[in-house]
Amino acid sequence: MINLRDKGAEIWERQGRLGRIGIAVGGVAMAAALPFMGGTILNTPIADYESVLVYPIAMYVLMAIGLNIVIGKSGLLDLGYVAFFAIGAYTMGLLGTKTSLNTWEILPIGIAMAMFSGIILGVPALKLRGDYLAIITLGFGEIVRIVALNLGALGRSEGIQGIPTPPGIFGIEYAFDSHRIYFWTLLILILLAIWMVRRLSVRRAGRAWESIRQDEDAAELLGVPTFKYKVWAFVLGASVGGAAGVFYASKTLFIAPDNFTLQISILILACVVFWRYGKYLGCNSRSGNSWLPTGSNSFLIRRPSARVRLGVGNHDESSS
Amino acid sequence: MKFGGVTALNDVTFDVKKQEILGLIGPNGAGKTTVFNVITGVYQITSGEISFDGNSLAGVKRYRITQRGIARTFQNIRLWGDMTALENVLTATDTHKKSGLVSGLFGLPVSRREEKRDKARAQELLDFIGIGEYADRLAKNLPYGVQRRLEIARAMGAEPKLLLLDEPAAGFNPAEKVELAATIRKIRDAGYTVLLIEHDMSLVMKVSDRVVVLDFGQKIADDSPRNVQDDPRVIEAYLGVPEDAS
Amino acid sequence: MIGNFLDQFWSLTFGGLSLGFIYILIALGYTMVYGVLRMINFANSEIFMVGTFATIIIVRDVFNFTQTSEYATGFRLWLILGTALVFAMVVSGVLSMLVEIVAYRRLRRMNSGILAPLISAIGVSMVLAESVRILTDSRPVASPRAMEKKFLGQFFDAGIRIDNTIIVISALFLFGVLITFVNKTRMGKAIRAVSMNPNAARLMGINIDGVVSATFLVGGLMTGAAGFFYVLKYENTSSNIGFELGIAAFTAAILGGIGNIKGAFYGGLALGLLETYASFFLGTQWKAVTVFIVLVLILYTRPNGLFGEALTQTRA
Repeated sequence: MINLRDKGAEIWERQGRLGRIGIAVGGVAMAAALPFMGGTILNTPIADYESVLVYPIAMYVLMAIGLNIVIGKSGLLDLGYVAFFAIGAYTMGLLGTKTSLNTWEILPIGIAMAMFSGIILGVPALKLRGDYLAIITLGFGEIVRIVALNLGALGRSEGIQGIPTPPGIFGIEYAFDSHRIYFWTLLILILLAIWMVRRLSVRRAGRAWESIRQDEDAAELLGVPTFKYKVWAFVLGASVGGAAGVFYASKTLFIAPDNFTLQISILILACVVFWRYGKYLGCNSRSGNSWLPTGSNSFLIRRPSARVRLGVGNHDESSS
Repeated sequence: MKFGGVTALNDVTFDVKKQEILGLIGPNGAGKTTVFNVITGVYQITSGEISFDGNSLAGVKRYRITQRGIARTFQNIRLWGDMTALENVLTATDTHKKSGLVSGLFGLPVSRREEKRDKARAQELLDFIGIGEYADRLAKNLPYGVQRRLEIARAMGAEPKLLLLDEPAAGFNPAEKVELAATIRKIRDAGYTVLLIEHDMSLVMKVSDRVVVLDFGQKIADDSPRNVQDDPRVIEAYLGVPEDAS
Repeated sequence: MIGNFLDQFWSLTFGGLSLGFIYILIALGYTMVYGVLRMINFANSEIFMVGTFATIIIVRDVFNFTQTSEYATGFRLWLILGTALVFAMVVSGVLSMLVEIVAYRRLRRMNSGILAPLISAIGVSMVLAESVRILTDSRPVASPRAMEKKFLGQFFDAGIRIDNTIIVISALFLFGVLITFVNKTRMGKAIRAVSMNPNAARLMGINIDGVVSATFLVGGLMTGAAGFFYVLKYENTSSNIGFELGIAAFTAAILGGIGNIKGAFYGGLALGLLETYASFFLGTQWKAVTVFIVLVLILYTRPNGLFGEALTQTRA
């Protein structure tokens, strides 16, 4: 079986600057054209193709990029990532329905809330190692869901309804069923996130994270402020999750605790695992299977050791 | 230095002078690695004091100790295998950068400047140690001898005033050991102070200005290599006493 | 509030004790596997859940009890209880061993680090929970009561119920058997050897795979027993009780020091009592939050637990 990822990397390496720009632009163009490529065949029983592109596919890709900073680059086991998604979504929900702020104004607030909770979770939790970090983060994710389920202010099990969609900018309208517009907005966010990660990877932060992942003790002894950078990884990952959450709430118009289960954390984790062992768009085909019964998804999760090469790559993000 | 009921280092006191090469030897289990661990902050001393450049090291965080000017290599190689040799050294040079995550993200001039400067410095260090051609190879793919030297280059990247070398000659053949001795002297001459743990006696004696001998957690000698070699207590510690000599 | 609490103190305490013993048994599943493999057996919570269903199968389907059947008494009662207990234990024990072979063994051979086994464990957990959920149509399943829950006596105004008593006594007995097993039998010593130093154990000729299987079996047996006791006490179950009780039992294991069997005992009791008292004051919907907060507090203040190993130590 051809190893698409390594082949892709080879081609990438060989290009000069112009060649790389060309590939990158081509890749983005292909991704942008995705909404036009579906037709009705790819409709799932509960939603049609274009809607699925936005959620879960684009959302999951965005969140996978965020979670990758935490797990993939820094080696920190975070099983509660959905908490940041939920915090972003509920921030949008509360502020959107109770104040006159619109989505674009709430977006930075949502991101800030998520980052803040990244600190709250990270500062204590990152003192623990390995498995215990995993348990704590898992608990955190569940706690956020349970609190949302039981607090009157957050709507208990009915959640929040009537969340406004983003107001139009540059003359583009955001009706709730204009899936393509959402998709392209998310695509921009995804590109922003990728840009952020790439920039950091080739500098001190990226090196710090890699050294922490590979041998944290040696890193500390060679001058890396490991704790600081671990918290940063959490915070940055959280910011991406929060951004995704804000848009999620703004698109689906109503949210409830059931939307933010442990299962989502696990699925995003699976995306990251497949990504690191497979292809960049591995996450897309994973989440495209969202209409399959959950059981088969968990079967896929169960064999991370079987390195499945999935999907087709456009350009290779060798930064992972 | 006590661990529960075990006293690993019992009243071990010695000084390291600037720009000297101090050899630390002793039979297995004597406590040499414990000394390194205490100096680098892996263990907090349970009694006594430890100071560097006039400041106490007690309770100081490990990465801060490195920032103050102490760096080490590891007995069992602990390179970051998935990074290139250059990146390994660069991570160490990051210790003294003023720019961090935020300036890196936004590409601020200070970040770009420091990055350029340190890349040059890292390459310089690799060349100094003699492995400059391996700069872009992944550390895990390097030959053993190159890896050991990369460990040293990396530690030097942290711009230490005191360089701790933990058995740098392990696994070397005699020719490589001669080269290593020359390298260590070169490092000293470049202005570093070196504290060296080594099992190879001839290497230690040849290269050190002074030798400290530990046995069972206690210092039993602290003198020039010649005198230490002839010290009966040292001989006894390594070879034992003949049965009929009591 | 406080007055109310004091009134109910003993009856709450007895309830808390029997819950505590259930936690002890599940905690043993986590702690023994961690002791031997340094790995958190995430799937243990679903093994417990399967144990509860195994119990219900015996009571409801084999012995044909329904909500309106007469209670069993005397020998027949002990036969039913005994069969259900043994069946639950065996099913859980065997399932636990199977899980190890299917989900963990290959990863162990490949030395795959800590992330892969954890994901695998979570996957197994999900597969089991989902399968049972589909089989039960996502609804809780009630267990008919085979035994009359009469009161055996009084203690300071609180009635001592027979089911709580059975649980406490039987669990204590099982725990005692386990301690004897670990300390006095050859396999028990092998387990302890492997948990202290796997390489030395291997060099001494101990069959590591066999020891691991035995550990999972024993852990599963205990967890299955917990499943039986749970159904005895609460008379219902559902496909998702694994998670809540699993986290609670895991917290108990950590509280006592993970890897430490004695610790599991104290941790389990402490947590059972704590949860019961907290439920009284805060209401049951905040139970999971309370347990989690306890877990967090333990990990930050006394990461070693009461008797166990440190979780924050770094190696140098």
